[in-house]
Amino acid sequence: MKINTSLGLLAGKTSQKVLKSLGRGTTLPGKIALKFDKDILQTLAKDYEIVVITGTNGKTLTTALTVSILREVFGQVVTNTGGANMITGITTTFLTAKRNKTGKQIAVLEVDEASLSRICDYISPTLFVVTNIFRDQMDRFGEIYTTYQMILDAIKKVPQATVLMNGDSPLFHSMTLKNEIRYYGFDTKKTEPRLAHYNTEGILCPRCQHILKYRLNTYANLGDYVCENCGFQRPLLDYAVTELVDLSYNHSSFVIDGQDYEINVGGLYNIYNALAAVAVAEFFDIKASRIRHAFHNSKAVFGRQESFAIGDKQCTLILIKNPVGASQALDMIGLSPFSFTLSVLLNANYADGIDTSWIWDAQFEKIEEMDIPAVYAGGVRHSEIARRIRVAGYPKEQLKEFSELNQVFEAIKKQEVKHAYILATYTAMLEFRELLASHQVVEKEMK
Amino acid sequence: MVYTSIESKPNKTNHFQLRIAHLYGDLMNTYGDNGNILMLKYVAEKMGAHVRIDIVSLGDDFRSEDYDIVFFGGGQDYEQTIVAQDLPSKKDELGKFIQQEKVVLAICGGFQLLGQYYIEASGKRIEGLGLMGHYTLNQTNNRYIGDIKIYNPEFDETYYGFENHQGRTFLSDDEKPLGQVVYGNGNNKEDNGEGVHYKNVFGSYFHGPILSRNAHLAYRLVATALHHRYGSEIFLPSYQAILEDEISEEYADVKSKAEFLD
Repeated sequence: MKINTSLGLLAGKTSQKVLKSLGRGTTLPGKIALKFDKDILQTLAKDYEIVVITGTNGKTLTTALTVSILREVFGQVVTNTGGANMITGITTTFLTAKRNKTGKQIAVLEVDEASLSRICDYISPTLFVVTNIFRDQMDRFGEIYTTYQMILDAIKKVPQATVLMNGDSPLFHSMTLKNEIRYYGFDTKKTEPRLAHYNTEGILCPRCQHILKYRLNTYANLGDYVCENCGFQRPLLDYAVTELVDLSYNHSSFVIDGQDYEINVGGLYNIYNALAAVAVAEFFDIKASRIRHAFHNSKAVFGRQESFAIGDKQCTLILIKNPVGASQALDMIGLSPFSFTLSVLLNANYADGIDTSWIWDAQFEKIEEMDIPAVYAGGVRHSEIARRIRVAGYPKEQLKEFSELNQVFEAIKKQEVKHAYILATYTAMLEFRELLASHQVVEKEMK
Repeated sequence: MVYTSIESKPNKTNHFQLRIAHLYGDLMNTYGDNGNILMLKYVAEKMGAHVRIDIVSLGDDFRSEDYDIVFFGGGQDYEQTIVAQDLPSKKDELGKFIQQEKVVLAICGGFQLLGQYYIEASGKRIEGLGLMGHYTLNQTNNRYIGDIKIYNPEFDETYYGFENHQGRTFLSDDEKPLGQVVYGNGNNKEDNGEGVHYKNVFGSYFHGPILSRNAHLAYRLVATALHHRYGSEIFLPSYQAILEDEISEEYADVKSKAEFLD
């Protein structure tokens, strides 16, 4: 072992112990270790069988579900939590990992799309999972085709790896790879081919540039697409959701490859995440009963969605960061069988994206159909989100604008209806959580 | 095939009709420009108009007499090259629309494509419609990203927005900018202009989107379109009477981020 590598390992591990005693730090040990040896990740990761999960939406939940399934079977599984998904976070993850005493060393890593190629200089995954690519933080990623290219560049560095892709995304059928590709997707009820909603991105046929139609359009540009001009269509699926048994605001049940499953979280987009996790499990020949058991015990993993009580009000806080995710969150809360208030907290810091124009692509029009006696607009850009809500057709008399988050908190506490949903961008979510923690409503550290 | 994407609910107090063509609305839709469509509808309904919005896209006929406003938004490079190939079939009718002084709002790629040509980041030249005199050059390894504020002396109005563009646009002698840059980059960071105002064509690089940040501009566009269709003598409610909540504002957190970041 090179001297720098040994020093890096020592420094990284020591800093981790110090930080742990202080109760913080998810990327600093990695940062320190990388200073000593920029290639340290290669040394750290060399004995592991690695599954990488990337894509715009769903990385965190897909990773968490996959980890809980693999832990059922293999015991210890190394993973990065808390969104530490760039090279420093991944390095930290391996530095601080507990190892299995016997058997396989497995790591399941959520990796940032833009960091994947660099990370693949040091690790050789067995399996890549690519969830989807939507418009997201355009100031950082650029357009969807650029993001896709970044992911392909990474995959090409590991030609022996298998790639599990969302077959319902037309983009993922537009290039050929040396790698073995397997597709997952939805094979539920079909119709005559129809156009997607007009404000959907990425609907050009990659082969002849005509506009795609859908026999089944689950959401955004996902589904069973077909080009009526040239015959281009979705690839055959290796893993499929064939039936949606029950969709509710807080759980979903469905059938994948002939097996019934249930997850304790609502939202069609989360069924895609479960499907990806099942596909990974099937790739490792794991039995359905083990998967079901893991899903059943996965209640705590839905970090991007958190439930708590403010006084006697049942609240759910949901992270929103791009139009597709926000529209899906709205669809999910629309399934609630009770009336509720809706708070939307919009910040425009770098971690949220400083360009807030995406809120106009999120379908807030959906709230017109819901039983919502009051909407609270909050965050630094409360006036902007309030305008979005008014333009969506919501009565302005029922819309309250708050410049301070504690006013939102107080409003929820004093409201009449017993339920509240809070949609928040990243830094608004962190600030709101801090406020909740100061009122002892949630624990300080996010799970 | 042309199809209606959004239409006002029937309402007896809406005594005007306003028909909007959303040009390539299914392809040029990446940067929140859909908000301009939603704002036009919101403002027009408050002014007493029943609004119908049509998607006019690849292979569709655009007929100038069918519409009062054309909205042409921005898209991704890939979609824009496909749109550029389809545009010549719509050139004559769009030219007629502009010459008849009907209202056009064109953002980013839409703004560029009404002009002579633009050069992509890769250096490839894409021909525009050539209906207006401006042209757009590229710049290497740079984009103009950040908050922007401009002032239009003719209307005595200030507009706020967010710009995110690689292209550098230069206006011709018969075109005026939409405003003078107060802060931000504007069309090209040289001549201090942002956007274009030519007859009743309003072009800009503003996302945000421009009409949600600047409802008074939405009011101006809708009023111009209604006067064009129904004559100058019709009565329209004042901005104050119907849109007092929609204040064009400079967000408190904006100024520190107005500089280009890379």
